[in-house]
Amino acid sequence: MKNIISWIDRRFPLTSFVKKELTEYPTPRNLSFWWNFGSLAGVVLVIQIITGVFLAMHYKADAALAFDSVEHIMRDVNYGWLIRYMHSTGATAFFAVIFLHMARTLYYGSYRSPRELMWWTGQILLLLMMATAFMGYLLPWGQMSYWGAQVITSLFGAVPFLGDELIIWLRGDFTVGDATLTRFFALHYLVPFIIMAVIMVHLVALHSVKSSNPSGINLADKDNIPFHPYFTTKDLFGLCIFLVIYSYFVFYQPNMFIEAENYIPADPLQTPVHIVPEWYFLPFYAILRSIPDLLGGVIAMTISVLIFAFMPFLDRSKIPGGAVYRPFYRALFYVFVIDVLVLGYVGAKPPEGYLVFIGYFATALYFGVFAILPFLAKKEELWLRKKGLPPELEALIQSEEKQKAERMVARRKAKRARK
Amino acid sequence: MKNKKGLLLLLGVVLYSTQICASSNVSLLDGYEVSVEQDNLKKGATIYYNLCRLCHSLKYIKYQHLLDIGFSESEVNTLRQGKLMNKAIVSTSTPENAMKMFGMVPPDLSIMAKARKQGPEYIYSLMLSYVENSEGVYENQIFNGIKMPDVFSYSIAQGEQEKQAIQKDVADVASFLTWASDPHATERKSMGLGVIAYLVVLSGLMYLVMRRVWRRLE
Amino acid sequence: MTDDNKSLEEPLVDDPERRDFLNTVTGVVAGAGVVAASWPFISSMNPSSDVLSKATTEASLTGINPGESKTVEWQGKPVFILRRTDDQIKNMTASQGGKDPEADSDRIQKPDWLIVVGLCTHLGCVPSRSSDGWFCPCHGSKYDNSGRVLHGPAPSNLKLPPYKFVSEDKIVIG
Repeated sequence: MKNIISWIDRRFPLTSFVKKELTEYPTPRNLSFWWNFGSLAGVVLVIQIITGVFLAMHYKADAALAFDSVEHIMRDVNYGWLIRYMHSTGATAFFAVIFLHMARTLYYGSYRSPRELMWWTGQILLLLMMATAFMGYLLPWGQMSYWGAQVITSLFGAVPFLGDELIIWLRGDFTVGDATLTRFFALHYLVPFIIMAVIMVHLVALHSVKSSNPSGINLADKDNIPFHPYFTTKDLFGLCIFLVIYSYFVFYQPNMFIEAENYIPADPLQTPVHIVPEWYFLPFYAILRSIPDLLGGVIAMTISVLIFAFMPFLDRSKIPGGAVYRPFYRALFYVFVIDVLVLGYVGAKPPEGYLVFIGYFATALYFGVFAILPFLAKKEELWLRKKGLPPELEALIQSEEKQKAERMVARRKAKRARK
Repeated sequence: MKNKKGLLLLLGVVLYSTQICASSNVSLLDGYEVSVEQDNLKKGATIYYNLCRLCHSLKYIKYQHLLDIGFSESEVNTLRQGKLMNKAIVSTSTPENAMKMFGMVPPDLSIMAKARKQGPEYIYSLMLSYVENSEGVYENQIFNGIKMPDVFSYSIAQGEQEKQAIQKDVADVASFLTWASDPHATERKSMGLGVIAYLVVLSGLMYLVMRRVWRRLE
Repeated sequence: MTDDNKSLEEPLVDDPERRDFLNTVTGVVAGAGVVAASWPFISSMNPSSDVLSKATTEASLTGINPGESKTVEWQGKPVFILRRTDDQIKNMTASQGGKDPEADSDRIQKPDWLIVVGLCTHLGCVPSRSSDGWFCPCHGSKYDNSGRVLHGPAPSNLKLPPYKFVSEDKIVIG
């Protein structure tokens, strides 16, 4: 064994790589369980890919056969029901884990310098995930699959000039049809592997800037501990707890996240009374519906997803550590979380009565939170510093200001020298 | 402090999961529950076969599947009347006839119990919501304009005893259709109990391992 | 690596022996779980229940006149059902076949009915019916009316499927 490893090591940096990036990888010792969700998301992706590949062995991406082939999987294939329910529940679990991962990032300000690229690659991952989930949802070819795809592809009609052509190009047909199903299947199979590649970028960035931590201050070397065995055991324990909850849903509530309507085969001539997207799209769907104009709604919905990427610019407070030392930011965070939950509720219900107004208000609040953030962050910073910060924070801020000033001076000098 | 939190979390999850696993029966109205007992499923299947099958198919249920709910081989042979074991149980009326009679093909019932919100309860209450209006025409209070007649004759049932007998029959049919929509449900739940029990044990072990590793830092 | 080494490396561990035990148990339990979890996936690649249900085929024998044959499908394979004439029965009973000698009585349940899997034992082509048996178009193997190979590259006689007569004119194959 030793010989084999040394043979490899002479040709490939196996031992040193594992040491540097895994076993001895320095990790802040004060990470809480909120830092578990990254590795957990990786595990869920692996579950989705494995179950997905096995489902693809039995699934038929043909409008005439798709629905029956899913029932074939559920009834006839050995443990097909298990694999299918693992996959459908896995989609829900994936979004749950990712939303918690994002919430942690927002709460602790982990998107801030120098982790902007991690945050942005994360945003790309979220978009890819949404696309994958959306396309996967068409595959069972039930009523909700069909009409969900019909409605969402129709949104592209809002694109000026090209809209109608774009819809037809996306569908490969005048309505969602066999061509749409087949291409969605092909892409649903492909995109997860692109996700894996982007995760690699995400991880390279992580291992370059290292994990953020609850204090928001980069720790001294002595406060970092090797990843193994501390965080391997912690991540595995977190994984076990996750699997308990996941298994509960797989085995006891597998249909909780599948609309009853989706057990009716797709019928292009009859729209379900009430179309709802999967729960993870509900807040964005509510924003779409709250804007009375189609183009405006599409733009608002797109911005509502993309706006997270602007967080490093919107939040320019010099106070480190996200919500930890910043009462206003913390309050804003909770307002935002509650607002998203309200939007989710509104999105799940038919747009009637007072819910319409709640939808307007919650949409306005959603964007309002982002709009107010730059001003709030500055005011809060001034107020906190006037009130007096803990000395180590103040020292940190001052040293950062100094560094920034030095960088400016150096840059100016270099410019002058070039002239 | 951190460890205590973890332990509490674990305990909470264990309690929660065992409690939920214990109560997994779907209730119908009038005190009935969706049954997984073979007696009820068999009774429901028989009623389906003699009554519902006149119009409705079960395209995902084959004759051989009846063996899983307690029919003997010879009983199935009688039911299938020379059709192959691996053929789906289909309606005795043709789609063309149904179109002539009802203007539509009655829906397949294989996954009906999953294709409606609270499906089993929906099926149960739909069958018992027929009333005779003042003009002597039957109506359904849940499904306005339903084409299906009151096949269980609940609207003209006389007396409590007869009503209860019909309720029981309909509960059995609802149970049978629930089984038909998800034939692996019983297997799924019993497997789930094992999987969750295993994962709880593994979580406990993993917690001990983690705690010991982290104690080195204190 | 000896225990001494380990305790030197990890001086902070309270009780190395207990820790080893705990780690081993956890490792074994987790490993068993991974193995068990892989079973449904392996199993899902086996024939599904609807494929298995094709493992038996019912075939009706009505309408086949003496000297005529019929092909039915069993597990996706052709099965030849030949109703033999008295002449054919006599000839076959007298012969032992060719390179794979076998008595005709060992290959039938009722002398009138020969039931064989219609795949050439050479490379699995489907032989075609000829006047005195079957002839494989792929490489020229020839079989008699008992399904026994007479000449050609085929190494053995046509296989016999398991079957039984459920009535005078109906058999169940498989």
